[in-house]
Amino acid sequence: MPKLIFRLFLTFIVFVGIFILIQKLLTPESFGKYGHYRANSLDDNKMRTSFYKGDAKCTECHQEVYDLRETDVHSGVRCESCHSPKIDATTDCKVMPPIVKGTIKFCAECHATNPARLKKGVPQLDFKEHYEKQNCIECHNPHAPWELKEN
Amino acid sequence: MGTERKLNNRRKFFQTSAALVGGTLLYALIKPFEALAQPKEEEIKTDQANLAIWGMGVDLEKCIGCGKCAEACKIENKVPKEPFYFRTWVEQYTVKNDGTVIIESPNGGIGGLKQSVPDEEIFKSFMVPKLCNHCTKAPCVQACPVGATFISPDGVVLVDETYCIGCSYCIQACPYGARFMNPITKVADKCTFCYHRISEGLQPACVEVCPTDARIFGDLRDKESDLVKFLQVKPTQVLKPHLNTHSRVFYNGLSSEVK
Repeated sequence: MPKLIFRLFLTFIVFVGIFILIQKLLTPESFGKYGHYRANSLDDNKMRTSFYKGDAKCTECHQEVYDLRETDVHSGVRCESCHSPKIDATTDCKVMPPIVKGTIKFCAECHATNPARLKKGVPQLDFKEHYEKQNCIECHNPHAPWELKEN
Repeated sequence: MGTERKLNNRRKFFQTSAALVGGTLLYALIKPFEALAQPKEEEIKTDQANLAIWGMGVDLEKCIGCGKCAEACKIENKVPKEPFYFRTWVEQYTVKNDGTVIIESPNGGIGGLKQSVPDEEIFKSFMVPKLCNHCTKAPCVQACPVGATFISPDGVVLVDETYCIGCSYCIQACPYGARFMNPITKVADKCTFCYHRISEGLQPACVEVCPTDARIFGDLRDKESDLVKFLQVKPTQVLKPHLNTHSRVFYNGLSSEVK
């Protein structure tokens, strides 16, 4: 083999070697285990804290409210649909209770008249006609809306 | 001279042929042992066959546009309230009598959607919750230059936050507008089907809070799951089927106005 070709070959080998070395160093751990991504990222995505705990967690303390809710039309609505957890107190409802004031604005999120909501089984109200000056919870029990409170 | 060259030629020919044949034989011998170098690959493939394939059904006949899902998503995934980025949001479509289509989604539907068109002008009106469609052939995954976004073995399109370089190619590639640049982490962000929740056996936050059960989440491989039953009972469609993304979010009652 001529010296020139040998040197060229040697340089080529060295370059390929350096390339492989750099690639090894720069490729993060577990990259390519399942595909063209870092497999550990799956665990990173799993490791986040969840704020919504589900009805099962709420009923540990508030079983009677749950039972009341199941008797009326709000039975399909989950606790946290209205009582959303507070983000700054993480998940401990004792630190920051997720109280809902039951204002017209809040109830109107679901119950205000909207042509796209008709025939979907959710009662629609024109809140200007329906007791404009009172909060909804002054008459309605939010957990059992058809049990009207006596005024 | 002449004979010497001839001999030399012949020798060289034999040498080259021997090297070629020997090389081929050697390769053929080594080939079956290649699997030894990467023995895990086979195991993983069999593992994946037992995993769930997550999907979501959205029943537009039930959605009332209260925006609880969008609100819950922001809380669960710590998406900043402002600027107005959403992992999931609700759009209100209004088709007027003259055929014009109005699409509204103020604050992603958080706080309940309100109709801005007077009743007498409306031909029809409906809500459409939107989220990442978790495509089987995801354009965003193909666009990512570093492999920071990927389809997980259980069929969820995820973002590797530590590996993303924030080039936002994926945001441009997404035909559904489901991705955004998170202003806090400065990397691409998107719906993950609440991957931390579903891997614990919980439902995604938007499904958890939906008061009318308009969202159905489940395993597409599990024939007993609510989602598979929903797909069997309802005539569902996916968004932008012509793009061949094979998305895993199925809509019931989708009108042709939705794009």
